[in-house]
Amino acid sequence: MLSEREVTSTLNMLRNEHLDVRTVTLGVSLFDCVSHDLELFVANVRAKIRRHAAQLVAVCDEVGDRYGIPVVNKRISVSPIAVVGAPFGPDGMIEVCEALDEAAKDAGVDFLGGFSALVEKGFAKGDRALIEALPDALSRTERVCASINVASSRSGINMDAVALMGEQILRVADATAERGGIGCAKLVVFANIPQDVPFMAGAYLGVGEPDVVINVGVSGPGVVKKAIDRALERGCNAQGRPLTLLDMAEVIKATAYKVTRVGEIIGSEVASRLGIPFGVADLSLAPTPAVGDSVGEIFQSLGLSSIGAPGSTAVLAMLNDAVKKGGGFASSSVGGLSGAFIPVSEDSSIEAAARSGQLTIEKLEAMTSVCSVGLDMIAIPGDTPASTLSAIIADEMAIGVINHKTTAVRVIPVPGKGVGEEVSFGGLLGKAAIMAVPGGNAQRFIALGGRIPAPIHSLKN
Amino acid sequence: MEKYTASFLGRDCPGVVAAVSRLFGDMGCNIEAMAQTMLSGAFAAIFVVSAPKEQPDASVDKDACGADCLRLRLEEGLERAGVDLSVLVRPAIAEQWGAGLNCEPFVVTVDGPDRPGLIGGMSRVFGRHGVNIENLKAILGEGGEGKALFVFEVMVPDTVDLGRLRRELALEAGNLNLRVSVQHRDIFEAVHRVSSF
Repeated sequence: MLSEREVTSTLNMLRNEHLDVRTVTLGVSLFDCVSHDLELFVANVRAKIRRHAAQLVAVCDEVGDRYGIPVVNKRISVSPIAVVGAPFGPDGMIEVCEALDEAAKDAGVDFLGGFSALVEKGFAKGDRALIEALPDALSRTERVCASINVASSRSGINMDAVALMGEQILRVADATAERGGIGCAKLVVFANIPQDVPFMAGAYLGVGEPDVVINVGVSGPGVVKKAIDRALERGCNAQGRPLTLLDMAEVIKATAYKVTRVGEIIGSEVASRLGIPFGVADLSLAPTPAVGDSVGEIFQSLGLSSIGAPGSTAVLAMLNDAVKKGGGFASSSVGGLSGAFIPVSEDSSIEAAARSGQLTIEKLEAMTSVCSVGLDMIAIPGDTPASTLSAIIADEMAIGVINHKTTAVRVIPVPGKGVGEEVSFGGLLGKAAIMAVPGGNAQRFIALGGRIPAPIHSLKN
Repeated sequence: MEKYTASFLGRDCPGVVAAVSRLFGDMGCNIEAMAQTMLSGAFAAIFVVSAPKEQPDASVDKDACGADCLRLRLEEGLERAGVDLSVLVRPAIAEQWGAGLNCEPFVVTVDGPDRPGLIGGMSRVFGRHGVNIENLKAILGEGGEGKALFVFEVMVPDTVDLGRLRRELALEAGNLNLRVSVQHRDIFEAVHRVSSF
């Protein structure tokens, strides 16, 4: 028999705290689709995606209904196209991207990730072709997401790639200027990209992954916030002591456990029904613009005036760590990014802090040293120089490389708009006031190019 | 040995279970299963016992036998012990509902304004579909004054059209201005219990 608390707590998580499975992502390896013939390659890719994804949406909905947990998004990730499409030039890459977009549409998924290149140590022919194709590919398609890994702790930072990506991000923004540069919302630059991320825009299926696999992304910032609020309302812990941050960490950890268990049970069942292996559950506190589904609000619950105030990095460090601990105990299949996201436009509370000036890019950068991703969904002036963009990327990559963690940059230079003006991307991507980028000039530094070597693994301080 | 199901209902107080179990022991009965609950000061319990074949006993009606004999002796014993419980005894049910059926456990919650006819309306839907209610709990005041949450733990045979069951439950709940959810029980256990091993 279930206890009263077990029933009411689960219902509250669903009805009032936005608990859901944010994404079930079907990973499809495209290595067996490879051909030097573009037409044949595209046909193979479409056939394989169709074969495995045909039932994805229906099965996710069935399983979601069975457990009463909505599966909000169904998505697909594929092998890095720069690798499997290595023989093709930029025009061929655009054609592949369009085919992927159609395959995603046919499958009924909202995003497909894997228009990706891994260039942390250097470029292969396919990598250059894919990166060159980005402006046209991302402006001509709706559902395809791109990611470029330009750095790793083992290889260092490919500064030529960093310089190139600064330029390409601006070109993608220009190519989608009529929609506020939205193409850049589908493009992420990474250090230490994980091979099994189910969340967009960074999802791709790594070379060490199975032929097909189900990875699940669970969210739940609202659940964490409400759990903290309830504990604070009680005012004391089980022993009657006044609450401290140690108790708050425990609350977050226990809540992360519950949320991860939801992801695992849904993911396992979807995988089982589709007859393919279950990969990972990625518990990442991924906000949406809805009030009550915000990571930023957690900072306020924990006593800060808003995210961005002094103390924010410490709060985020505790939050990210407690989420990983709870998730790690809940499932032996935890993977992906698993932590807290701080995407500015997608989180109403973070966006408000940025708009009011309480949160700056400099503070966001500091916070990314302790969270699971990086500078995310930040709208910046459209006239930001490419070298400044590249330097922002380089700083973020350095944090990831030195700390052996994933970091990423997803910034949107909004053509024709300046600091303080607003841009709206719609839906889950939200809206944002354009933030100021740090001053100074990095042109000569970026022009040096080459590679920042991999860090030493001893003599750590 | 004969197997019986005996149920007890009355005022709850310390020593109730002790009195009942001592009586069974004195009569040479073995308690094979039991469940008890309390509600609003009332005690209710069901015991499944195996009892020795009918024994001549001058203290009870010579015509009584089997379940009746057991009931009379229990009533007499409880009266002697000063415990106020009503007793009902029946031969144990040989085959439980659901034997031979593939069933899955679901939890149906209904919440909103507490009103007469709620349990009856929902239960009739379950009955029509051959869904068995295994536990039913009302949590009064959940969601505010005058509101209630009803939790039906049910077993749903795999022959039941789950979509249709959901629709009919939603319709019934809608007529009563209530919200309904239907979820597999596993999700509650997965979220709140540390391990299923």
